[in-house]
Amino acid sequence: MVQIYKNEHIYPHDFKTVSLAYLNRYPNPYAKHVLSIDTLDTHVDNNGNLVITKLMVKTGPLPMFIKPFLGSNLNSWILEKTIINPQTKRLMTYSANIDHRKFIKVEEFLYYSEIDEYSTQLKSKVKFSSNLIGFKQRIEDWSKHRFASNIEKSRHGLTFVMNELKKQKVYWYEK
Amino acid sequence: MGNIMSTSFAPECTEKKTKYDDCFNKWYTEKFLQGKSMENECVQLWDDYITCVNSALASHQIKPILDKARQDQPFTSEEIDSAIAPKK
Repeated sequence: MVQIYKNEHIYPHDFKTVSLAYLNRYPNPYAKHVLSIDTLDTHVDNNGNLVITKLMVKTGPLPMFIKPFLGSNLNSWILEKTIINPQTKRLMTYSANIDHRKFIKVEEFLYYSEIDEYSTQLKSKVKFSSNLIGFKQRIEDWSKHRFASNIEKSRHGLTFVMNELKKQKVYWYEK
Repeated sequence: MGNIMSTSFAPECTEKKTKYDDCFNKWYTEKFLQGKSMENECVQLWDDYITCVNSALASHQIKPILDKARQDQPFTSEEIDSAIAPKK
């Protein structure tokens, strides 16, 4: 069985702020597990959407029961595709780890949409699936639990970046 | 962002990445989001950066897995949309 985690959150910022912060969310003090992030492709498609492909390296602890197989820490490569529609003010993203998939495959779908100029909604859905015979259920449960407890951190991280952007006012047109 | 630099997986590309990111962010907020430009204008900086990344990736063990993943996951906006978007 595959585990699914769903969540919703509203950020008290407009789409410009949230989407720019999302694209620049690393590094931040709440994401020390992110080692690097690179852009592999950026283009505007025929529908006027901005399409960005990124490659990240993250590291993280592993559950006790899996340490005999993979060691205590694991670096993982994650491919992320982000699609931004400037007219509808929506940002969609799909990301998944590309290595260690037998152990665990985590697929994350995010959907940011502007409600008004003071708020942007985030809907997220994450799928956890493991193929490791004998450990499948425990790995999926463990990953889901870990993810749920880390979601607060990722919100703090994005909020931190938004506040930094506002402080710097570098890319801003003042209203 | 802040005092810590956003790093490339290949340390020799980090500086090129930072220059490109700065240019991109400016274009994104001041032009793209405002409907003033549909062409990413950071071409020269992009070429420098992606050339660096591609040559670092070329000999890396992740390359075959990455190429396959990029092919296997076209994930169009429709696909992402149907997976997560609120039902109409």
